[in-house]
Amino acid sequence: MGSILFQNVDKVFGPASSGVKALDNINLEIAEKEFVAIVGPSGCGKTTCLRMVAGFEAPSAGLISVSGKKVTEPGPDRAVVFQQFALFPWKTVRENIELGLRNKNLPAGERNTLVESALKLMNLETHADAFPHQLSGGMQQRVAIARAYVLDPDVLLMDEPFGALDAQTRVVMQEELVRLARVNPRTVLFITHAVEEAVYLADRVAIMTRRPGRIKEILDVRSIRQAENWDRFQKIEDVMDLESFVHLRTHIWKSLREEKGSQSI
Amino acid sequence: MIGRRGWIGLGTVAALIALWFLLTTVTGIVSGARFPSPAEFWLSLRQIWGRGYAGGQLISHALHSLKLVAMGFAVAIATGIPLGLWMGWNRKAEAAINPVFLVIRPIPPLAWIPLAILWLGLGDSAKILVIWFSAFVPSVINTFAGVRNIDRPMIEAARMLGTPRWRMVREVIAPAASPLIFTGLRLSLQASWTTLVAAELVGALVGVGFVLNMAQQDLYPGMILVGMVTVGLLGWATTVLLGMVERRALSWNMAARD
Ligand SMILES: Nc1ncnc2c1ncn2[C@@H]1O[C@H](COP(=O)(O)OP(=O)(O)OP(=O)(O)O)[C@@H](O)[C@H]1O
Ligand SMILES: [Mg+2]
Repeated sequence: MGSILFQNVDKVFGPASSGVKALDNINLEIAEKEFVAIVGPSGCGKTTCLRMVAGFEAPSAGLISVSGKKVTEPGPDRAVVFQQFALFPWKTVRENIELGLRNKNLPAGERNTLVESALKLMNLETHADAFPHQLSGGMQQRVAIARAYVLDPDVLLMDEPFGALDAQTRVVMQEELVRLARVNPRTVLFITHAVEEAVYLADRVAIMTRRPGRIKEILDVRSIRQAENWDRFQKIEDVMDLESFVHLRTHIWKSLREEKGSQSI
Repeated sequence: MIGRRGWIGLGTVAALIALWFLLTTVTGIVSGARFPSPAEFWLSLRQIWGRGYAGGQLISHALHSLKLVAMGFAVAIATGIPLGLWMGWNRKAEAAINPVFLVIRPIPPLAWIPLAILWLGLGDSAKILVIWFSAFVPSVINTFAGVRNIDRPMIEAARMLGTPRWRMVREVIAPAASPLIFTGLRLSLQASWTTLVAAELVGALVGVGFVLNMAQQDLYPGMILVGMVTVGLLGWATTVLLGMVERRALSWNMAARD
């Protein structure tokens, strides 16, 4: 459960003849419980890829399937963490996390247990009854992650989830995500502008060309991580100093540079 | 209880009353036939409060008007908010209904009064109907705008969570649109008072507008002023009440603004 497949996917916005071609023949296979990060120049279609897996947009050509089933609409098997959190400001932290469970018609007792463990997992116990605006950005994003995780989704879709956070909070969140991925592994599609973040978090990193976006290259980070035993370090800065990490990062940087052209990454 | 702003407001009211006293009583620049003096106002107030005027005491006129506003306003928002939500949510509904609105909107609410009286006579139902016509439109338009202004990711988050349609409306769309819905309610309430008093001026047998109409026919400036002040106070009180409801309902939003 939870594999993602892009098969010859094109996406054109607007009329087929005169519209903007955002994606051109995307082929990508993400295995169950694999963590894949997508990096690429701004406007190359990363968000569009994720939105199609989520079911918010349909491909213009080709097929997207999750767990072997064609994606047709959004659903709780594919939980999304948005860059701007997209919490419900009139609901408390607990109510935000609980909504998806209520939608699944779980009995109250079961919901409570699940919400409590999600709160605990994301260190939110003391803020369960606060409203989102009373929390810092990092905490709000933790609520959004808890809201996604509590659904027990096959797939997690994250579009620059830490993009709105300051540098320190971002690092904390990255480490927490790694911890979470160990406790509770999921298939993850993760979009980011931060190359280090991609290398630190992902099993594989897909690099896209500028628009119309194609997949230019896919790097296998996982085999290097395992061979070099990155996991012996707890802190991201220790991993970032390793030669194997620097090597990968530089490779991606160069690749993105070529794509950059006149636009900025 | 009364903050700095409150004191400034009270000061202005006191100054206006002093000016009124000065112009009508102390200097006599404004004659009593054009504008009543405080003493005349007081006498008129005592008359309508005790013996009554235009067929009833002030309380019964005021309560009658208040009752009609409350009913007309309730009917208007009970129909206006759902229609606005529906139009905001459903493009087809908007496409079908919006043209009708574009034609109906420029018609001043008061222009409905003759028709309403023709249909329903001088009784309460005609007045509730005109209030409904006038108060309905701001509710619909603002609710509609509120729904259209909702952040898209919020809706997408709810869809991704598998939220069923009815819960979507109640727990996501309506609260997200509620700041603008309340703007619409405030405008609707104002419109309710305006049209009710106008309708009572034209044809009624009881109510504050009827008091105004009688006082005009009797050439009775003191009573006219009593009627006007009563409308002002009633309108103010209902607006304050609505504001309290709004603060409660939008506490999550108010706190975000601070
Ligand atoms: N709804 C839409 N209608 C028309 N064009 C769109 C729409 N959504 C995206 N596009 C266009 O498709 C292209 C890809 O957009 P997308 O948001 O997927 O890029 P991105 O890689 O996520 O960019 P960024 O890194 O800036 O977030 C862009 O040129 C964008 O303008
Ligand atoms: Mg994007």
